[in-house]
Amino acid sequence: MMKKMIIGKNIVKSYGNGDEQRNVLDGVSVEINEGEFVSVMGPSGSGKSTLMFSLSGMDGIDRGKIVFEGMDISAVGDNELSNIRRTKMGFVFQQPTMLKNLNILDNIILPSMRGNRKNTAKITEKARALMKRVGIAGLEKRDIIQVSGGQLQRAGICRALMNNPKIIFGDEPTGALNSKSAHEIMDIFSEINANGTACMLVTHDAKIAARTERIMFMRDGKIVSELKLPKFDGKDIDGRVETVTVKMRDIGI
Amino acid sequence: MYFRIIRNDILRSKVITLTTMIFVSAAAMLVSLAAILIINLSGALDTLMTQAKTPHFMQMHSGEIDTARLKSFAEQHKNVEEYQVVEFLGMDGSEIILGDHSLSNSVQDNGFSVQNEKFDYLLDLNGNIINVSDGELYVPVTYMKEKTTSIGEKAIINGKEFTVAGFLRDSTMNSSLSASKRFLVSSNDFAEIKDLGSIEYLIEFRLKDFSEIGEFETAYASAGLEANGPSVTYTLFKTMNAISDGMMIAVILLVSALVVTIAFMCIRFTLLAKIEDDYREIGVMKAIGLRISDIKKIYLAKYASLAAAGSILGFIFSLMFQGMLLENIRLYMGEDENTSLAVSVGLIGILLVFISIVAFVNVVLNRFRKISAAQAIRFGSSQEMKPGAKHFSLSNNNLFTTNIFLGIKDVLARKKLYATSLVVLIISAFIMIVPQNLYNTISSKSFIQYMGIGDYDLRIQTSSSAKTDDIVTLIDSDSDISRYAVLTTKTFKLKTSNESEENIKVELGDHSAFPIEYSEGSAPSRDNEIALSTINADELNKKVGDVITMVIEGKEKDLTVSGIYSDVTNGGKTAKAVFIDNSAKAMWTIVCVELYNKSLVESKVSGFSNKFDFAKTSDIDEFVSQTLGSTISSIEMASYASIVVALVITVLVTLLFMKMLVAKDRYSIVIMKAIGFTISDIRAQYFSRSVFVLIVGIFLGTLLANTLGEVLAGVLISSFGASSFNFNVNPITAYLLSPLMMIFAVLISTMIGTSGTGKIKISENIKG
Ligand SMILES: Nc1ncnc2c1ncn2[C@@H]1O[C@H](COP(=O)(O)OP(=O)(O)OP(=O)(O)O)[C@@H](O)[C@H]1O
Ligand SMILES: [Mg+2]
Repeated sequence: MMKKMIIGKNIVKSYGNGDEQRNVLDGVSVEINEGEFVSVMGPSGSGKSTLMFSLSGMDGIDRGKIVFEGMDISAVGDNELSNIRRTKMGFVFQQPTMLKNLNILDNIILPSMRGNRKNTAKITEKARALMKRVGIAGLEKRDIIQVSGGQLQRAGICRALMNNPKIIFGDEPTGALNSKSAHEIMDIFSEINANGTACMLVTHDAKIAARTERIMFMRDGKIVSELKLPKFDGKDIDGRVETVTVKMRDIGI
Repeated sequence: MYFRIIRNDILRSKVITLTTMIFVSAAAMLVSLAAILIINLSGALDTLMTQAKTPHFMQMHSGEIDTARLKSFAEQHKNVEEYQVVEFLGMDGSEIILGDHSLSNSVQDNGFSVQNEKFDYLLDLNGNIINVSDGELYVPVTYMKEKTTSIGEKAIINGKEFTVAGFLRDSTMNSSLSASKRFLVSSNDFAEIKDLGSIEYLIEFRLKDFSEIGEFETAYASAGLEANGPSVTYTLFKTMNAISDGMMIAVILLVSALVVTIAFMCIRFTLLAKIEDDYREIGVMKAIGLRISDIKKIYLAKYASLAAAGSILGFIFSLMFQGMLLENIRLYMGEDENTSLAVSVGLIGILLVFISIVAFVNVVLNRFRKISAAQAIRFGSSQEMKPGAKHFSLSNNNLFTTNIFLGIKDVLARKKLYATSLVVLIISAFIMIVPQNLYNTISSKSFIQYMGIGDYDLRIQTSSSAKTDDIVTLIDSDSDISRYAVLTTKTFKLKTSNESEENIKVELGDHSAFPIEYSEGSAPSRDNEIALSTINADELNKKVGDVITMVIEGKEKDLTVSGIYSDVTNGGKTAKAVFIDNSAKAMWTIVCVELYNKSLVESKVSGFSNKFDFAKTSDIDEFVSQTLGSTISSIEMASYASIVVALVITVLVTLLFMKMLVAKDRYSIVIMKAIGFTISDIRAQYFSRSVFVLIVGIFLGTLLANTLGEVLAGVLISSFGASSFNFNVNPITAYLLSPLMMIFAVLISTMIGTSGTGKIKISENIKG
């Protein structure tokens, strides 16, 4: 039996008020185990990003409860949430989110540098190793506008990995990339996951979702269905994609 | 059609728009005030000098006078319209008592005249020629300003009683720069007191054609006519009359230049920030083929309306405040008839401010042209890292914490943006420190030495030389007194280069007992040495080591100039020597006294005042405060006011900049929040930005204050007789308290300005 890392129970989140009010998350319950590789699919506006922002404590919820490693994060303060995000979670977004003032290397080491005064050398060394691993060694001193979108996304993954997170959230991390780059990025995610880090990806792409071991389907703020797959071992990708597309057709997504 | 865009933009940034408008209206107000003052000053001055028929050429002369020769010169010279010789009866200030006040400490050469018949009239405060009756005394308007006396009071001139009948405007001697002041009495009274002072002659001419004044001056000089004293032309009278208000106008212009700069900086900052913000949109507009001039028009329209509103407000304020500043001009020169002209010139000034703002906005907006559509759409950012900032990287930073590093890095990466707030902070520091240093300098004990007064505790002054010995005997036996010196002032004849003679007041005695500050050379120590005040040295054109010839005990004697010093007493024209003289009559004697115990000063002063009722005993601090008191206290007021102004500017501008930066940097803020930086981390970064800029600003501002500021203050100070001016800085207030106040102001406003960071939602700014 896998240890549960995140438990979300009956999460309700709404925007607007009065007649305008609408539940973007309408009683969602999710569980993510340690080391699990899950993905979320669903039509645009179904609440996938909102769910991810909520589970990571970046956005408050109206009702329900989110427990991360035994701690009720829907009840703790902003500073505590920041600490959790920095030390236990990593994020990769669809658009690269980098500080314009800093070069690639500085952007990557940024989360580890908070409060650090002595270990800069070690941190930098680690960042270089990660960059090598994702294939962007040599770009350390470049400005963020001097590299390609795919390279920037890899740098984002390095940043997310810097503090050895328990889980990485990716909100359409390959959405802005061509399919070759997308698959290279997914290889990196698979490798990360193989090393024991849980991953939760939001995606529209069946080929991406097919590489994960559990797919949650969302519509109108609810999880309407789930699909379990064996852990991906690099074989039979076409078969897995077929399974996912059939499921999507079944539930009408 | 742009109205809606502008309105929305203003509504979205109320604080920023308001602050910018405050600075624009302040700038407009000051410019308009300066313009109004200039017109009023020149108008009132013209009126005064026309009504008074100010002489075109005036030669002062002391000594024998040959009126017949002068008359024939005047009759023969074709350009002379009118000519007259005016008698000026100089009298020591101690002989003039107005109401309760004696003029003994007056730094002016006070004297008496009768009303002139042909020109150079003395006018009343309505601009009419005064008709004075026996027993009446008209007093120079300066003494009304200083509240020395008021109409109806008794005046005692050398024992004779007068009634103060009114105040007079004197177009030749009104100015504080003119050392002499004329009182007006009737011819009968003048004849009565004539022997009680010394007569000086004012030889005056009006010309048919003033443009040929140069030719006339040469003719007068080459005719070898009376010339023992300075000569003054109409133009110089005009300058002297204008100078004190002119200086005020200069200060207002200077301040308005600073405020205009600040207004410009605010606009520049807002615009640059706005362009950074809308970078992507501008790029998109460009990409889809919209013309840049259309985009520019929207911004121009916004700032034009803002500048227009500010200018109108500033104009209203300037009309409200003009009365206050015109008071002096109205008192000394009278009302200017041309108020509508003044107001329209004020309007023109404001129009200039308006136009320059619009032009400035236009220049800043030229950056639109440099925006590359491709880059803007791809990255939504104009940011290319500056070479200097590149090497400053987090991975080899061991000096700062990460938050401080990020703050400083941001400043280095966006130098142009922060340069704006830096300029404002430099100006603030400058405004804060210069008046403070100036006040500290002139109020300090050591400044007295610049003024020609030694560092002693009290002084006893008497004009009766016979009784000086009584004072000395008593003081010599007083055990509370540590040291004393006796200084006697006498008048001697001085031979000038062109074989004529001049009077010079020389203070004789031991000048080493209470030394003063010498800007050049040193105190006289031998019989054949003399030290001159700056003004005397300038007028006689003498330097240290030069020789002057004086008549002492009937014989001509050469004295070497041993030193030059600043002096504000006695109109700044003094000299010091140590030779013994028994022939000349002492004008006055001062006994300078130093006490062992400074707390006894007050009781000693009153003790000596009672014992020596024939003499005037004063506490030296009080003496200084009488001489310089009003100046010191107005500078003190000004220094407090400028601290407040500087702090208000600092707070407003920092608040404005911080609010704007937070709004602009939303995206960076949410990135940092997302990767686990806390709100306090982010605010710490903003604090380091503003403190970093502030430290540079304070440093440069202080540097500027001690260089440029010192020079400016020196110009001001030299106008009342002190030379070789150096700031006497109080390091605690200037280098500790002032920076602390600024830091405090910046921290508070940064705290308020960044309070919005907590409210920025990650999910609203990173779209997934
Ligand atoms: N700040 C907000 N205010 C109001 N409504 C919002 C806000 N943010 C999101 N929504 C609404 O919530 C709903 C869910 O948004 P969410 O971003 O979670 O969708 P998504 O599933 O991630 O869509 P996509 O696939 O397009 O990214 C949408 O209908 C959106 O309009
Ligand atoms: Mg989304």
